Amino acid sequence: MIHYPKIARALLFAAVFVLAAPADAQKAFADVGKQPPITLLVGSTPWYPAFEKVVGMYEDQTGNKIKLDVTPFGGILEKARNAVRGGQSPYDLMLLDTQWTIEFYEGGFLSPLKDIDGSFDLPKETLHYGDSGYWNAEKRWRTANGGKLMAYTVLGNVQLLYYRSDVLKQAGLAPPKTWGEVMTACSKLTDGSKQYGFVVRGEKGNAIRYDWMSVMLAEGGSVVKDPEAGDYTVTLNSPESKVALDQYIELLKKCGPANYGNLGQGDVIQLLATGKAVMGDLVLAAWATFDDPAKSAVVGKMETVPLPRGRTGKSGAVIGNWNAVIPKNASDAQKKAALAFSKWFLSEGAQRAFALAGGIPNRSDVFTSDIAKDPKLRWMPAYLEEMKFARQELGYAEGAQVEQIIGLRLNQALIGEMSSGKALNTAAREIEELFKKNGRKTGMLAALPE
Amino acid sequence: MDFLNRTFRHWSLLPAVVLFVLLTAYPVANLVRMSVSTIEFAQGTETWTFTPLRNFALLRADEVIPPAVRNTLIFVVAAVAIEMVLGLALALLVAGVSRGKGLVRTVMILPILVPPVAIGSMWKLLYNYDFGIFNQALTALHLPPVNWLGSTSIALWSVILVDVWHWVPFVFLILFAAVEALPIDVLEAARVDGATRSQLLRRVVLPLLKPAIVVALLFRTILAFKVFDEVFLLTSGGPGTSTELVTLHLYKVFFEQNQLGYGALLSLALIAAILAFLLVGRQATKAVRV
Amino acid sequence: MATPAATLRIPRPAATPPLSIVGGGRIGGVFLVLTVLAVLGPFAWILVASFKYQIAIYSGEWPFTPTLSNYAQVLFGRRSDFLGNVVNSLVVASASTALVLVVGTLAAYSLHRFRWPAWVSAGFLGWTLVFHMIPVMTLIGPWYVAFRELGLYDTRIALILTHVTINLPMTVWLMRAFFREIPPEIEEAALVDGCRPLEAFRRVTLPLVVPGLIAAGILAFIFSWNEFPIALNLTSRELATVPVAIALFAQQYEIQHAQMAAASIISTIPAVILMALGQRFIVRGLTLGAVK
Repeated sequence: MIHYPKIARALLFAAVFVLAAPADAQKAFADVGKQPPITLLVGSTPWYPAFEKVVGMYEDQTGNKIKLDVTPFGGILEKARNAVRGGQSPYDLMLLDTQWTIEFYEGGFLSPLKDIDGSFDLPKETLHYGDSGYWNAEKRWRTANGGKLMAYTVLGNVQLLYYRSDVLKQAGLAPPKTWGEVMTACSKLTDGSKQYGFVVRGEKGNAIRYDWMSVMLAEGGSVVKDPEAGDYTVTLNSPESKVALDQYIELLKKCGPANYGNLGQGDVIQLLATGKAVMGDLVLAAWATFDDPAKSAVVGKMETVPLPRGRTGKSGAVIGNWNAVIPKNASDAQKKAALAFSKWFLSEGAQRAFALAGGIPNRSDVFTSDIAKDPKLRWMPAYLEEMKFARQELGYAEGAQVEQIIGLRLNQALIGEMSSGKALNTAAREIEELFKKNGRKTGMLAALPE
Repeated sequence: MDFLNRTFRHWSLLPAVVLFVLLTAYPVANLVRMSVSTIEFAQGTETWTFTPLRNFALLRADEVIPPAVRNTLIFVVAAVAIEMVLGLALALLVAGVSRGKGLVRTVMILPILVPPVAIGSMWKLLYNYDFGIFNQALTALHLPPVNWLGSTSIALWSVILVDVWHWVPFVFLILFAAVEALPIDVLEAARVDGATRSQLLRRVVLPLLKPAIVVALLFRTILAFKVFDEVFLLTSGGPGTSTELVTLHLYKVFFEQNQLGYGALLSLALIAAILAFLLVGRQATKAVRV
Repeated sequence: MATPAATLRIPRPAATPPLSIVGGGRIGGVFLVLTVLAVLGPFAWILVASFKYQIAIYSGEWPFTPTLSNYAQVLFGRRSDFLGNVVNSLVVASASTALVLVVGTLAAYSLHRFRWPAWVSAGFLGWTLVFHMIPVMTLIGPWYVAFRELGLYDTRIALILTHVTINLPMTVWLMRAFFREIPPEIEEAALVDGCRPLEAFRRVTLPLVVPGLIAAGILAFIFSWNEFPIALNLTSRELATVPVAIALFAQQYEIQHAQMAAASIISTIPAVILMALGQRFIVRGLTLGAVK
């Protein structure tokens, strides 16, 4: 045991005392009062560190405690289902990916936010994200028109067109504005297997379905006619969809790697980060990777523009947002506490902090504020522009099955197992059968030439 | 002590039975009940309706099942056969090693120590078309790169290779233990009697190893039918339906689409298929061995 | 209990001279070396990857600049409870392995040695085998509900019990196979000499199946250590086990290969150590009382 002289010990104690003293408490972004501790179900995603930081700020500012049960992405849905189906929910707030919300809305597992606190409402600056947080039980549709507020968006993810500003500049090309321009540009930029002009997901399932749908929407296609009005006529196999699919396949075959048939999200990121691909259709959530020298060989060289338009000038983008919901079977006091945190999170201060920490804010005033000038956040103008036309898709109970059908047939068309016409016809037929079985009003378009 | 001895017969079996029945009764009963029901959720509660015919109709109409079954059978037969042969050969070879048996055993079981999620992710990188080490090696030898996971004809075999790497240690472990337990004097006696190496192997060693081989084969087969993690991460069942397996499809139906009733029926169908496969296998080996 | 050793055929104890059954010689040796390399190859790749930056892994860089940052992030990162996860895994895997070995071996011996009516032995063995065929994902819902009712949700006990259930079929069947390898004359000789059933089991039979116990123990341990779906759903963050922690690196869009590799390497170390210790424990503990 070392014996420090008395004075040194006194100084040591004083230093410890001073350093341990709490920093000046920040003025709270929103006044929420004292609340019991709550537990949140969050997934392990690239923006989780940003969320965690912001939650830490909430705890510092308000003194209320929050436990974050960070879960592997593949396990969130199961945990959420288990939580709401028995006894008292272990979670007071759950973050659900947009396609899972329908199941929980229809099942009646959640507490409408205004039922917990009638005065709660989304700030008017909050982007609406296709109303994924509202549920109209009569229409069985997510809409603010006659719908109850069930959730708010914590992270509104979309895909953007990523491109290498240095490569395009050198080739004398402007960032493409239409899918046709993407084709022209990528053909010029592709150099055998040394450089790929354009990459996007081709893997079977959710991968190809999600990415292709932006092209489908841009070319004027759709999956069902008017689900909000209850008309589930299948419109998938339209001439516009065929144009979109043929274009998609051509892009991958001409400008992508030889294994386009199983390109997943990780593969696309890998190709862009190593610099082997120079343009790509990719989620915004992957942005931070490219400016991180440990993960990317192209630091500072990536830029984004909104997803391109189609032939007729329409634009298309599919929203993949995370929604915060409150389970019905949580305790009342903790529901109120969860809502209090939500109110704080939706404030301008919190959203600003979230953006600076690496998240995507959900308020327009943050996008137009001074932080948009931060070079780390140079994706903001493209994002805000795209949010004007981005929409929710597959917002009905059969969503998962429809996705599986489309995801398989599109992939088969891509790898050449069937023609694009046959793929769309087959998928449309299967979807129509599915709707029929579930008692929806449905029908089909005339078959495309195969 | 005397009491323990008298009742040894009973209390040695009882804990296993009690524990097992207690923990398995409810889940299995639940599964069977689910398989003949349709389960719907509304207003926060579940409603179970008895609909056996509907579930069977779903099974019959499911177009993904035939390719899934075909792929699963190919996978099981190929993977298990390769693993059994390699595992047995290794067990016999390592028994002849004079020094470092323990070290070899530790090295050999490393693949099963790696968590399944890591195996799938790492092998996906190894198989990567542009940057994976296999294609890099091929290119260095001026050979064309192979589309390991993106070609419908090769993808399933790429998956089988991963499974072989992962599970040969399992077979090796069991068979090596059995080889270690062989009675040495029986072998010495046979050799003294003038048996050749191959006679020794066929007439003495293999019959003695039979119980262990059967167990290894049995459990490896069942586990092969249930394979999930590796395929899910490597190919998601694609491209097309070339690596679609029954367990993957079950995952999509039961879990992603939340069709609990049909999914339960599908798992029971899988169990029936495994039993059928095992019975056929047993008859076949009986006919061959005689 | 004296037994004329000459009349008993006792298999070799653990450390024995090599048994050259398959000659092969050169070919066999080459094959062995190649196999060991094939087994080690991907594992070595994971080891190397754990010292690379993510971008170096992406581009398959060689040579590369090594870094310890992955290990630092896994072990000491802000959101990392990895060491706690390792402890959880150690506790759960050790306890469930010990329990399943004891319960399973006793059951296997009982079924093998004593005359049980057919419906008991075939019933139990058949039931365990069929249960082993059930995909685990269908069991999670009911187990979650049951444990939550009992107040055992998010406890180590729940994990240990479920892991024992999952591993019991293989343990019972495996030990039964090893018991069947023992010539019945040995035990009968012991009983004739006045040994009670329990003694015969402990002093004569058990030492003879030590290799089997080691194999069954290693397998039970590994399956428990790597078990994922049950651990994921029956625990929350504090009690999560290593596979759940490693799955955190498989994020929604991309996999953090570098950290995953580091975490995988770290996770094999305690497992290997524990298995080595366990092996020695079984060998020492059981052969001490054996008849020589």
